[in-house]
Amino acid sequence: MGTIAYCQPLVPPEWIAAHGVRPHWLRLDVPAGGERTGVSRFPTDRGACPAAAAIIDAVERGLSAAAIVLTTTCDQARFAAAALSQRATLPVFLMHVPRTWETEAARSYYRDELRRFGRFLARISHVEPDEESLCRTMLRYDAARQELRCRRGAFSATAFADAVASLRGDCPEAACAAGDASDERDATSQCVNLALLGGPLLFSDRPLLQLIEKAGGRIVLDGSEGGERTLPAAIDAQRLRDDPLGELVRVYFDSIPDIFRRPNDALYEWLRRELPVRKVRGLIVRRHVWCDLWHAELPRLRQETSLPLLHLDMADGDRGLAVAVGRLEAFMEMLR
Amino acid sequence: MRDPAQRITIGQWDRRYKSLKAAGLCESAYGGSLGRHLDQGNRRLAKLHMDNSPAALRLWNFLCSEEDRLHQARAEGKHLIGAMKDLGTIPVMAFSLDDAVAFYADGAWWLPCLMENGTGMLELADRYGIDESFCPVRAMLGAFVAARDMPPGARATHFPLPDLVTCSVGATCDDLSAIAQRLAGLGFDIFWWEMPHRRLPEPDEPAVALPGGFRAPQCQVDFVRGELERVRQAFERLAGQTLDDARLRSGIGRANKVRKVLDELRETCYTAARCPMPALEMLVAEMLAIHFCSDQAEATSVLQGLLDEARARVRSGDGVLDPAAARVFWVNPVADLRVMNLLEDAGGRVCGTEYLFCHALDQIPDDLPPMESLARMALADPMVGSPVDRGTRIAADLRRFGAEAVVISRIPGASHCGWEGRLLKRLLERTCNVPVIEIEVPPITDALEPTLRTRLEALVETVKENRRHLR
Repeated sequence: MGTIAYCQPLVPPEWIAAHGVRPHWLRLDVPAGGERTGVSRFPTDRGACPAAAAIIDAVERGLSAAAIVLTTTCDQARFAAAALSQRATLPVFLMHVPRTWETEAARSYYRDELRRFGRFLARISHVEPDEESLCRTMLRYDAARQELRCRRGAFSATAFADAVASLRGDCPEAACAAGDASDERDATSQCVNLALLGGPLLFSDRPLLQLIEKAGGRIVLDGSEGGERTLPAAIDAQRLRDDPLGELVRVYFDSIPDIFRRPNDALYEWLRRELPVRKVRGLIVRRHVWCDLWHAELPRLRQETSLPLLHLDMADGDRGLAVAVGRLEAFMEMLR
Repeated sequence: MRDPAQRITIGQWDRRYKSLKAAGLCESAYGGSLGRHLDQGNRRLAKLHMDNSPAALRLWNFLCSEEDRLHQARAEGKHLIGAMKDLGTIPVMAFSLDDAVAFYADGAWWLPCLMENGTGMLELADRYGIDESFCPVRAMLGAFVAARDMPPGARATHFPLPDLVTCSVGATCDDLSAIAQRLAGLGFDIFWWEMPHRRLPEPDEPAVALPGGFRAPQCQVDFVRGELERVRQAFERLAGQTLDDARLRSGIGRANKVRKVLDELRETCYTAARCPMPALEMLVAEMLAIHFCSDQAEATSVLQGLLDEARARVRSGDGVLDPAAARVFWVNPVADLRVMNLLEDAGGRVCGTEYLFCHALDQIPDDLPPMESLARMALADPMVGSPVDRGTRIAADLRRFGAEAVVISRIPGASHCGWEGRLLKRLLERTCNVPVIEIEVPPITDALEPTLRTRLEALVETVKENRRHLR
């Protein structure tokens, strides 16, 4: 069975799996010592996003996959796809995800892109799923997501990040077993409830998450790019029966609130809904340097949520973390 | 008897203007001495060397009077359409209406340069969270906010608030998309339309050739046509007028006329043995193709004037630069106009450009239904496709104009420049076998000038060394 690597949430893993290919959620990372390879060695002071560089670096280091799929949801990822295509190390499928969403045409475009992606997958696996197997696969992933949502409070930040990553892989059932799911947290503890927002978390961000908890914070809402914000909506059984692909479009394209959408009001609706429910007292925005999409929204995030906001713009490596420690501790002191 | 072609300062221009007037120079309503633009705050003009022809005088006056034209249009009750990002499509549609004027709000990105950061727009952008890590297009946010916050009846500092603002998003740069979203968050009403990433057709997939030579699947053209149809309806609602195919066909015809004159101007200037028109004037001239500087008919005349001048100079063997100047292809527009002078001071000349809007220079097909033509043109935008597409087109134009080197000028903070510049450099070095350098050009380069000059001089020397080897 071939493997398809991906790292952006508008790519449905169940669509990959239904085509007989293993979805592999690529957890981006900074290489040991911060030294990148090949074309990804492009310095961030020239405008290259560290997350995009990490995608390229992962492939240049010999990612074991039949192909990688990227989306146009950010400009830097689009150019990362171009860089990888030029290198021809691995087949690259670039999927256009419309930024507009208010028209039926935009939905249809996403649906057509899924079909095109399906043809790409079928060329690798020689499998074209029938409706029944697609439904079965979708329900399997949906059930795993629902289970994780139910057990959300039992996870530390790093364990939850691991679990959500696991949901996007080829064995979503393993999600709840990932990390420290047994590490039951006391919901009535004195921790300060926080929401984490921003772009993709790198694997090397784990110390940051641990630092937050060590400083007395508790991430009750993971709104980073790979976190719960970008998990698809729950599947509607009737709609699934009527039109499985249409339901896939609905739970992904229609439901995931993301920063790149134009307009991106759904993100704020999601925050208005979730922040009070989780009793969030502060926001931490972890932004990759050069990410304009999150950067431009910081004032509006402050204004619309009326919550204290800590903006951590970090390039790769440990230096960013070292700077973040002091700011993080000061932020937590202020909230306590 | 013609005056010899040369590049002169604004002070020299003002003296020359007096003598031209005394000799009976006829001007348009927006004419006058260039010095008055300096007095109005366009301080960068004092650092530029400009062509000394009356045609160039008219070009600069046309460029520097655009805000006056927009305010005049507002006063006359015309519909103002502020376009963002698509660089060449929306204005063709808008100028097909009887009483609409379109301009690019993105054009504000030159304000920090022209006014040497004295405009206050960047400070306003800072105040709203759009700091210097963004592309200089952030000045646009300042201009919008300043226009909104003007007391009733007062004239906005830069462009007046448009009646309708369009923004193409999708396979476009994140800077502008993020800033436009920030504007929306501040309450500005924006009409978003989608521009998909142009991809190669799959085997057996119906595909079409786009203006300029790219290819795209027909389904993508259909999608863009649908998006432009939404824009058309929005224009009709705004203007209270039907924007039917006949009107659009006429509008396309007028746009093609501008493009044809510009194409002849580029061909004349970039292939001439001796450079007949400086790079700076050519840059401004190319910019006219995007939105006609808010007056389509006048833009055509201004370009025709430049073409006549360039042809006359070529016929007489006159030119503004040393005939041995290194022939350089320039990629991306510069945030600081002064850098175009700098290349020429270093011994180079521009022979070919790709300022991110080559789709606005190509003829729009006139043998297709107009919306189909416009969709094909919009999808031919070099920014919405792969850098390989763009590089291939640059390579073809480089050969067409006989360029011997390439300068890729990065726009500071622009989300697309970091990776794309590197990819283009690699591709062009491999396929064209010419030296390629990448430079970054901020809105004011004064502090960097020695470094930039050295790099450009080194490029010129490399070209001349290559010539010696070829002999």
